[in-house]
Amino acid sequence: MKQKGQGRLGWLFASPYLVYAVVFFAIPLIWSLFLSFTDWNLIAPTFNFTGFSNYIEAVKSPGVQAAFFVTFKFMFLFVPLVIASSIVVALIIHGLPKFKGLFLIGFFLPYLASGVVSSLIIKGILSYNSPINEFLRKTLGLDIDWLGNPFAALFVVALIIAWKFTGYYALILTSGFESISKEVYEAAMIDGVNPWQRFWKITFPLLYPALFTVMILSIGVTFGIFTEVYQLTGGGPNYATNTWQMEIFAKAFTNLQAGYASAIAIIASIVTFISIFIIRKLLEMWGKRNGWA
Amino acid sequence: MDGRKKKGLFFRYLIAVILLLIMIFPYIYMVLTSFADWDQVDKKLIPTDFTLKSYQWLLGGGEAVIPRPWLHAFFNSFVVSAGSTLLMMVSGVMVAYALAKIPFKGRDTINNFILFQMFFPAIILLIPTFLVIQRIGMYDSYWGMILPKALSLWAVFMYANFFKAIPDTFIEAAKLDGANDFQILFKIVLPMSKSITTVIFLFLFMERWTELLWDMLVTKSDSMLTLNVLLSQMFGPYGGYPGPMYAASVLLTMPIIIIFLIFSKKFQEGMQFTLK
Repeated sequence: MKQKGQGRLGWLFASPYLVYAVVFFAIPLIWSLFLSFTDWNLIAPTFNFTGFSNYIEAVKSPGVQAAFFVTFKFMFLFVPLVIASSIVVALIIHGLPKFKGLFLIGFFLPYLASGVVSSLIIKGILSYNSPINEFLRKTLGLDIDWLGNPFAALFVVALIIAWKFTGYYALILTSGFESISKEVYEAAMIDGVNPWQRFWKITFPLLYPALFTVMILSIGVTFGIFTEVYQLTGGGPNYATNTWQMEIFAKAFTNLQAGYASAIAIIASIVTFISIFIIRKLLEMWGKRNGWA
Repeated sequence: MDGRKKKGLFFRYLIAVILLLIMIFPYIYMVLTSFADWDQVDKKLIPTDFTLKSYQWLLGGGEAVIPRPWLHAFFNSFVVSAGSTLLMMVSGVMVAYALAKIPFKGRDTINNFILFQMFFPAIILLIPTFLVIQRIGMYDSYWGMILPKALSLWAVFMYANFFKAIPDTFIEAAKLDGANDFQILFKIVLPMSKSITTVIFLFLFMERWTELLWDMLVTKSDSMLTLNVLLSQMFGPYGGYPGPMYAASVLLTMPIIIIFLIFSKKFQEGMQFTLK
């Protein structure tokens, strides 16, 4: 009797999730699959089934191919950048006896601020007549069109997003540092280990679990970039910063190709899922081989 | 503490401060430039002549031809963020309590499904979620922005982990005294969860406050725009008026900083748990 009451209560408490999972997960998921086999244009009352032609067209299109490669290029810029900067911030912060919290909050600000705001400020700082560009032109003779040059544009986006996540990841790493006991360092000091060896032989392996978390999180981020790209480049120049989200948004809501864009979304999901799975496995193998994990 | 250690500590603080200044420099630049004379906007790293012109332009309605509803957009952002966050907190607590503290058949299935959904690439759902909102008549309304973000899997996950750490003996003792699950939740579990609640609230609110894609998709009339969307549209690729752009950015960023400073102490406590 009591068990039965608990059962009903459990379902009652879980009901918000059940409704949510049906309306905003199950139905959209099936709808998306269905749409991807049609030529529906988001407005017309009718549509035709087109089989796999959306998928075939998508794989051949320059936008989708760009999204595929841009994501990995972006990953190679962003992940090392954000990991290096968050390690530096964590190294500096974790040993501070006072005001640690205050510093962490400061470093956290870019994570909480709007991506639109961050993008607009950086755009202003990098605009043609800005002090930085004046300086580069006058002293080094460099005239860089930051958002017009394909590589520079990708780099700027990677920089903004690395800046955004540094404080957050540093926080995760600081908790990793705190798990390393002082005795280990003291023992190493007695054995006469230099700081470089100390970092690679002691800090790094003990930090590895936290670092693994940060790597997985940052790789996940690379597959979901939208705001910064939309605000700064719109995916250009010439698809150089065209991410999956940007491509799907443009096709579905600018070109109104809802069926076609659904096919792209499904391809994007599959690519994301497989990529993260493989990278995760590789990272785990790498950690195990070196005896860190 | 010997002299060498003191010196080392001084340098650590010095480096920390320099690093912090680099990290938040763009925001300092934003605030200063929002008050800068329009001749100096984006032409000086540290402006020297100051004016309120950017704010007057912004709050006075902007261009005479198309007055932009900045204050109304601020209000919209607040309604949407507060409504959405409140619902995410309530639903998060309820579902997490069921998963952590009510033994019932099907609990493990729900738990596994939530984990599966958390790692599912959400991009696949964008177009059909838009269609769902359109079909139930919520396009271009507050509810259209709030409802798809009325439950956060992350909040459920965080709360469930926290609730699991509360010893069952507390709850059993309360049950022996005749308390029901609602009373236990409100009188025992929630008061114990203040710091984690602060962390979850801050993250959810900030994330909702700075949402762009969804709010942009699901609204069309000027009276429905959130501040972030208005900022994005007004100062897009071809936008002029850089001075007011910084003023609008300040308008969007200030609430975040203020809320964060108010809750900073509880936030630090809560983070300790979050990162375990």
